Amino acid sequence: MTTLFFATDVHGSDICWSKFLNAGKFYGADRMILGGDMTGKAVIPFVHQGGSNYRITLLEQVFDAANEEELTDLFKRVRSRGYYPYMTNPDEIAELEKNPDRVSAIFLAEVLKVVKQWMDLADKKLEGTGMNIYCSPGNDDMDEVDDIIRASKHVLLVEGQVIQLDDHHEMISSGWSNRTPWDTHREEDEDQLKVRYEAMTSQLKNPHNAIFNIHVPPHKSNLDEAPELDKNLRPVLAGNSMKPVGSTALRQSIEKVQPLLGLHGHIHEGRGTSRIGKTLCINPGSMYEQGTLLGAIVRLGKNKVEDYVLTTG
Amino acid sequence: MSDLFVRKATGLVRSWSVMDAFVYALFSINLITLGLYSFSQMYYFEGGMVNALIVSALFIFFEVVVYAALISVMPRSGGDYVWQSRILGGAVGFILAVTGWWFILWLWVPLYGDMFRHIVLVPILGVLGAKDAALWFAGTQNGAFTASIITLIIVSIFITLGMKTYARIQKFSFYGGMLGLLIVIVLLLTGSPATFKAGLEANATSMFGAAPGVYDATVTLGTNAGAITPFSGGSFSAVFLVIPYLVFFNLWPNWGATLYGEVRGATDFKRNVAGMGWALAVTTLLAVILLFAIKQTIGWEFYVQAGGAWWNYAWGFSPDAPALPVWPYPALLAAFLTTNKALQLLVVVLMSLWWFGWSGTVFLSSTRVIFAAAFDRLLPEAVAKLDERTGTPINALLMMVVPSVVVAYLFAYNIASFQTLTLCSTLVIAVTFLGTTIAAIVLPYTKPDLYKASPIAKYNVAGIPLITIAGLIFGGFLVFLLYQWIIDPNALYGIGIKNTSSIYYMLGNYVLAAIIYFGFKAYRKSKGIDLNKVQAEIPVE
Repeated sequence: MTTLFFATDVHGSDICWSKFLNAGKFYGADRMILGGDMTGKAVIPFVHQGGSNYRITLLEQVFDAANEEELTDLFKRVRSRGYYPYMTNPDEIAELEKNPDRVSAIFLAEVLKVVKQWMDLADKKLEGTGMNIYCSPGNDDMDEVDDIIRASKHVLLVEGQVIQLDDHHEMISSGWSNRTPWDTHREEDEDQLKVRYEAMTSQLKNPHNAIFNIHVPPHKSNLDEAPELDKNLRPVLAGNSMKPVGSTALRQSIEKVQPLLGLHGHIHEGRGTSRIGKTLCINPGSMYEQGTLLGAIVRLGKNKVEDYVLTTG
Repeated sequence: MSDLFVRKATGLVRSWSVMDAFVYALFSINLITLGLYSFSQMYYFEGGMVNALIVSALFIFFEVVVYAALISVMPRSGGDYVWQSRILGGAVGFILAVTGWWFILWLWVPLYGDMFRHIVLVPILGVLGAKDAALWFAGTQNGAFTASIITLIIVSIFITLGMKTYARIQKFSFYGGMLGLLIVIVLLLTGSPATFKAGLEANATSMFGAAPGVYDATVTLGTNAGAITPFSGGSFSAVFLVIPYLVFFNLWPNWGATLYGEVRGATDFKRNVAGMGWALAVTTLLAVILLFAIKQTIGWEFYVQAGGAWWNYAWGFSPDAPALPVWPYPALLAAFLTTNKALQLLVVVLMSLWWFGWSGTVFLSSTRVIFAAAFDRLLPEAVAKLDERTGTPINALLMMVVPSVVVAYLFAYNIASFQTLTLCSTLVIAVTFLGTTIAAIVLPYTKPDLYKASPIAKYNVAGIPLITIAGLIFGGFLVFLLYQWIIDPNALYGIGIKNTSSIYYMLGNYVLAAIIYFGFKAYRKSKGIDLNKVQAEIPVE
């Protein structure tokens, strides 16, 4: 029997990444799979105020650090939410406000710096354990992330690949999603997703025993319910109006292939499990801002899912 | 956070409209259903109704602060269940969540059904001339049970339609219901006691077959029932003793709060407080205005006496049937002020929207808790199954509907004095709220890193976190309510240790929850899944 641990959408949270690296041992899993969206959503400028003083605005609250200890504490707070600290000064901030390209470059540099740190940490922690992490970046992850992952020894980039997870189970993986209102890095139309999935499913030797590690959840699976937004990206009816936003191409593929297991993420509030025919689909959700690693432990038998449970770590 | 350094990423949405949050919260503390239903039952108190409304709202504002703060620290997490599980432990979280958001809703079904017949069925049938049908629904146990069954059908349809559609029904109901309320208030403020008395005599006899002299007979029956509750005034303690009954109506501005989405900063905390807080304030103000309008034309004493006459008979304290053979619904009484049948029908139809826009809430929260428990493997996977074609959570719905039919039957036919359990519906949820409030009080101290990195980290009063201060005030308020309900030293609320049915019923809820929790935990352990471990925090280092 194979026990796998799956988590997703850690969005730059150092705490969640550290927990993920420890999760295999903690839960007794022998396969580790990280869904997409490992990068964070915001850079927090630490603006130098002279001397050893810095000021930041975190979640619309202003915090000041007057010494090294307070600065370290603020760094920790920022990183715990998956945001990236950036040391700067008022002059640079004024300049950056006129130069969005430079802001993007800073953002990318900060993201890649942290991904590199994460890969180094993973290689250090997993060395000698015999454990690897299967990873396919999600729609929010920049393309440049891939090269850093490729350079890692124990984090394996499996985007678009069919891999043999154990003696009985193959796994296909993709972090690409259907279109979102945010025009993110890895999203495409449903017919393109269909082609992407077929390119992998056609290679499966035993499709009914396969695992679909696909970032986006299938359409109308109850794992893809997100607040309906108006044209200004404002949730309508105070977030009470939820609608399915998953991929129709993925749903069709699951209905057709009927794999053993689907592992999904993307919709943080879509935590749950669902069956599409014989396929068990899981979205463990994400609470990365709170430093909580949501995940799923799945025990795979030869031709069935023996058991599973969602975790809150 | 400056948008300069925020990139485009999935889920980064703008804040929701305060108006939308306001509408949802306003419907949760529903003046026409919960409010008028409870006001009519509160005929024997010595404290002023208006005073109690205002004082209770002041305390409940701290509930708004507690929930808005928790949403800010732990957004999109699933509400009370997750907050309590993470801060107070899995057993507390599960038991308090399933009792407060699932089991006790079985008891709310006959209450929703009772309001359905009094606010929707009877007035509309009466105005349409279907006297016998109206009286059957209004005054028979079969009518009460049938109203509960229809309620279950309607609510199940709402679940099948899904949140997106129901949210739109709510919005439409809000505007229609508000228009209806405006017409009612105008009718009441432009009428006079004399025209009301004449309208009551004419319409009560023609619509519902009341005997002539219905006004005076109601006054006599109400006086005999001990109807004394004043419009305002009363001693400090008398006013406070009204509140444990009144909160059946206004303890719920937080009902939809757990749905509120990503919180990006302190502004969103303020928006949450504003949405729920304004709903509480406006509902309180509307209640005072409506009661004032009732006082001006219907007459406060008559209104209280009519409530006393109705409930004194309904609860079996008196063998004398009320002279007005239908529940004294102020909107219907206001409609008696006009002879225009079309206007009468418009009033009762528009006012019925207050029920339709609110009733779906009875199961929506319950199905979420059932799903969450199933995902945590504390219930079988099958309960979270969706119908492939419609997406309806059929099994979860059955777990609401089937027990509700049983409880509705017990309630309608008053078996084991079930009709005395009305306030248990509020007590059990208040216990759940108390668990959440305790979690809020200790949060800054038990989860300091989580709290410090939240949008409310800088909100302090005299160096103490606002969430703790608000929690202590609201928690104290809840403890007062629980003491009054359970001990009931003045014999005012009819539940608690003086009512064995209520104690057995409530304890039964908690015992059932504990059996499910510990039973499934042991079962999963036998299958190799340690639920303690899957909910434990993974070491970071």
